[in-house]
Amino acid sequence: MKDLATTPHPASPSPQEPVRLPAPRRLFEAFGDVFDEDSFFLILSVFIGIFSGLAVVCFRIAIDWTHLWLLGPLPPVHSWKILAVPSIAGLVVAILVVQVFPAIRGSGVNQTKAALYIFNGYIPFRTAIGKFICCALAIGSGQSLGPEDPSLQIGASLASALGRQLKLSREKLRLIAPVGAAAGLAAAFNAPIAAVLFVIEEVIGRWSAGILGSVVLAAVASVVVERWFLGSEPIFRIPVTAFKQPSELIAYLVLGLVGGVASVIFARAIGFLRPRLKAMPRSTQYLQPAIAGLLIGLIGYFGFPEVMGAGYNYMDQAMHGQYVWQLLAILALLKIVATTISFVSGTPGGMFAPAMFVGATLGGAVGSIEHHFFPHLVGSTGTYALVGIGVLFAGFLRAPMTSVFMVLEVSGNYEIIVPVIVANTFAYLVSRSLEPIPIFDLLTRQDGLVLPSLEEEREETILRVEDAMAPAPPIILSAADYIDAAERRIEESTQTVFPVRLQPSGWGAITREEIQRRFKEGKGEHTVGSLISGQPLPSLFPDLPLDSALRFVQSCQIVPVVNRANPQKLEGIISSQSVFEKYARHGGTEVDESDES
Amino acid sequence: MIKWLDKLIPRSAIVVLVLLTAGAMVGFAVVGHLVTRYNANQRARGRKLYAQGVADLNSGNADRALEDFRAALTSDPNNSQYQLTLGRALRDTGRLDEAQSYLESLWQRAPESGTINLALARVAARRGSLVDALRYYHNAIYGIWPSDADVNRRNAQIELIEFLLQKSALAQARSELLALAASLPHDSGLELRTAELMVQAQDYDDALAEYERVLRSDRGNAAALAGAGETAYRAGRYRTAQRYLQSAVNANPHDSNLRDLLASTNEVLQTNPFAHRISDAERNRRLAAAFEGAGQRLISCAQQRGIDLGTVNPPGSSLSPPASPASPLAALESRWLATKPDIRRLRYAGENDLPDVIMDLVFSIEQQTAQDCGEPQGANRALLLIARNRDTADQ
Repeated sequence: MKDLATTPHPASPSPQEPVRLPAPRRLFEAFGDVFDEDSFFLILSVFIGIFSGLAVVCFRIAIDWTHLWLLGPLPPVHSWKILAVPSIAGLVVAILVVQVFPAIRGSGVNQTKAALYIFNGYIPFRTAIGKFICCALAIGSGQSLGPEDPSLQIGASLASALGRQLKLSREKLRLIAPVGAAAGLAAAFNAPIAAVLFVIEEVIGRWSAGILGSVVLAAVASVVVERWFLGSEPIFRIPVTAFKQPSELIAYLVLGLVGGVASVIFARAIGFLRPRLKAMPRSTQYLQPAIAGLLIGLIGYFGFPEVMGAGYNYMDQAMHGQYVWQLLAILALLKIVATTISFVSGTPGGMFAPAMFVGATLGGAVGSIEHHFFPHLVGSTGTYALVGIGVLFAGFLRAPMTSVFMVLEVSGNYEIIVPVIVANTFAYLVSRSLEPIPIFDLLTRQDGLVLPSLEEEREETILRVEDAMAPAPPIILSAADYIDAAERRIEESTQTVFPVRLQPSGWGAITREEIQRRFKEGKGEHTVGSLISGQPLPSLFPDLPLDSALRFVQSCQIVPVVNRANPQKLEGIISSQSVFEKYARHGGTEVDESDES
Repeated sequence: MIKWLDKLIPRSAIVVLVLLTAGAMVGFAVVGHLVTRYNANQRARGRKLYAQGVADLNSGNADRALEDFRAALTSDPNNSQYQLTLGRALRDTGRLDEAQSYLESLWQRAPESGTINLALARVAARRGSLVDALRYYHNAIYGIWPSDADVNRRNAQIELIEFLLQKSALAQARSELLALAASLPHDSGLELRTAELMVQAQDYDDALAEYERVLRSDRGNAAALAGAGETAYRAGRYRTAQRYLQSAVNANPHDSNLRDLLASTNEVLQTNPFAHRISDAERNRRLAAAFEGAGQRLISCAQQRGIDLGTVNPPGSSLSPPASPASPLAALESRWLATKPDIRRLRYAGENDLPDVIMDLVFSIEQQTAQDCGEPQGANRALLLIARNRDTADQ
């Protein structure tokens, strides 16, 4: 069993102190060989999923209840209520955010990332409470925001609190917030795969068996809990979808392009307004959500209550051909405006649902227009609306993998996988080319944090061993060669170090000076192999990341790079100099000659 | 925030896990209670909205009713009644995609339900999708109905037949009609409706049998008499038609349609040279009259079409241009002229094939002129009917 007590933790008492052991240590000792911290973390992930699922169920009910209580079951269009409710609720939310829960402003995704990379997994429990109350009030009163991002953060915050309480190691504490985030998002979307992918793609940024297992367990547990209480129906009914003609992909490509442009407009509007409103005097922060509520109420008052709240009901109708394309286009535009107003005003809430709304309405509009001009297209307007959801996910949230799987998981229909991939890819490419900074990174930078941009990491060129490798030298000695023969072979050569092929396998190296010295000592009848003592040299493969060479090049003059199919075949050699030169050329890093020496 | 918990939680692994489990159980209990209350509240709200929607629908405010039904479903998403009503309302207001979506989600839960299958069949019928409509109608016919199963199944079957007739799928309609007729209870109204549908499906023999079934139990049923007469007329069984139509006219002397049919039937029977139980002289007279009538019809049709048959019209006639030899009317006229001298030979015995030759020409003329100049009247109509129903005209 792995000794978890050796894992350093700031909160752990020193071994000399005669105090009782922290919980994990005693925990693992009590269980003996049953499980180590990794195993315990997996079990804990299930509990995180359960608690997150319970919290998200309560959160959804709270939003619904607030909405019914404040606005009633039918939108009160042309009524004073639709103006007053979001404004007054906005004021209350602003007071709560400024006075009680200042940490809940902003994106839950970024706060979870910050917890992972900066705060050692720490997210205050107060954040969960604040998000729950303020988001329920804001979304329930009609602010154009979604419940998914708050759900994600509620999950992360619960997980972080639990991890701290159990005094997990720092490594596990860092990872526990993303685990909770996945659970919260999975319950909010009723889509575990998409949630897992999103957290891996956008928060953690790497795949590893340990973290993947925890994230999956938590996501599945939370979805089971959510379905237990709220049923397994998807968040909207799935339209009849069809994709039969490959030529129709052109229509989806157009949808991808339009969606990409809309994503950029959406992101730039937020990016432009948010810092300006944030820079306004503190006193205005009380009014900003109220004014945002009033403006959104005005949109509803003048006949577009669809843009208020998360808007799942209206997405459902857009997917079932209930709106003409003109109305769909207007709704997409107004939703961008309303969400921008809500979000930049500092009202807590997420942008997942609004992005999906914009995608669905935009997709429906584009599909309807294309149908008008090309009546032979088979895909229904609903199909385009469904694909449109993924398009905004890819273009606005910049989560290309998640966007594909989310549409597939929500729709349960793999027939539309090709249109989804085509449209999402184009939306992603257009968005990326027009707006290089993804929305989450933009928000992070505006908040003065420097978090790793996972999109940049994804796009980063990986240097490989073959990039720094010098070709195999002309003279390769064998361990069975006699020194006098070897000395004759190297006589005309300018090589200073010679790779030696060992028997039965492996590689070594010998210098010119060594061979010549031994030859002069009269040991010409000895073999080259007898001069090589100790372990054979480590060898590398050409496709390995160049980082892996760093472990060896400092201690070896040369490191052989061998063929994967035939390790006795030398592809080239690598040295510390060639590695550092390559890094210097690639990243502009200056090579410190003294370090090299 | 939760440091106080630190003091409460004992430092034992088992206790920690037990506490987590207990916490989860408590959470389940609390959230379960909350969800139950929430659902009860929502269901009550849903009932209210649904009742409001039904009232709106009854008062003709379909759009408002749809909003109410949608809101009711938001409150109680799994309520099949609301979904079905909303699906039907959407279908009736032409929002077929959404209607289908609601109904399909219901269907997935209860694929055996006759009600849901019938609603889906109607959506498919409104879309004009024959395959889907057939599938759902059949599911409805053989599905489970909460009450009045036989009546509902029969109504679904009749609706399917009407849809098939509308789509001109006559063969499929006939199959369904045979199945329907086999399962009908003794009810003259249903039997008459079935017979009417059989007539529409051009299944005249079975329709006549169905009318006769009614008449066996109700000899004086005017609707059955009229239906049987008309069906026999359409089937070209003019003697049968005459019998039923005469009875029908006697029962309802003011029905001009029946009187016209009877007159037409009588004319057929009096014109038909192939009728049994007539003397040779009468047969020859009918043949000669038919031949002469066909010739007149040919000339009048040519004039109507502005075709100069040449030999018939005097020289210098304003009718132009002269009929080309390829014109069907001209060719028939040539045949008619060539046959005319043979009419005198009808009185001689041994010319057994001459009546057939003459009547073939007469039928050709009547059919061609009907095609070129429209349906004829009087004796020509009778000849045309005989031409169409040569084998059965005397039945």
